[in-house]
Amino acid sequence: MDRRKFLGVSIAAAAALIAPVTELKAVDFRATSPKAFAAEHVPEAIKEMFGTAGLKETDKIKFTAPKLAENGGSIPLTIQSDLDLESIAIFQDANPRSTTAVFTIPKDAIIDYEFRIKLRKTAVVTIVAKGRDGVLYTTFKEIDVSIGGCGG
Amino acid sequence: MANMKIKAKEKDGVVGVKAMFTSLMADKEEAEKKKIASEFITQIVAKNNGNVVFEVTTSGFMAENPLFKFSYKGKAGDKLEITTTDNGGKTETETEVVK
Repeated sequence: MDRRKFLGVSIAAAAALIAPVTELKAVDFRATSPKAFAAEHVPEAIKEMFGTAGLKETDKIKFTAPKLAENGGSIPLTIQSDLDLESIAIFQDANPRSTTAVFTIPKDAIIDYEFRIKLRKTAVVTIVAKGRDGVLYTTFKEIDVSIGGCGG
Repeated sequence: MANMKIKAKEKDGVVGVKAMFTSLMADKEEAEKKKIASEFITQIVAKNNGNVVFEVTTSGFMAENPLFKFSYKGKAGDKLEITTTDNGGKTETETEVVK
């Protein structure tokens, strides 16, 4: 085999090796870190989910939530960001267990999520996001929940 | 429980999706209080033409009948497939063509 041909073949082989990595597969966090879903307190849950690395507070993750929620059974939250993130987790300290939801973000995705959560009482909702560079970003908001549906 | 409603609309290369799922989202404590069986969705995965575009692991602390809004880069005519898994391991899949 002459040299030119050999190089061509090896490049093709290398490309074939790299290609399958881009295949996307679902991650079940309940299977990979079950302890995080059983943790009762926020710091514990964050430690189980993301490890002990320090958190960096950021304003690049836009997290909107009502300041006062009259109905604790359905509180709309939105998360938007331009950062290159790998996953976003939502924690709160009102319910029996603190992990609420964990988003896995596929490559090149638009980070713009809206969803609703339940809170039993006034609580601080913490967002922890892991960037593809491994940095942990965090932001939080306190939500007042008035029980009994009577606002104020 | 076999219900989900999906709306997917494309605008300027971005598909906006609204998905509503029917589930009580009752965690252990709440189920005990209401004397019903605990039931909640644990995972939601959305695939566009086979590629994962949205994925979330949820707990019983999402609101009842959870509603999710998200967007991704896509075009009209794409096939969007959403699969949910509940705490009993039951899965449900529904497909929708992007408008």
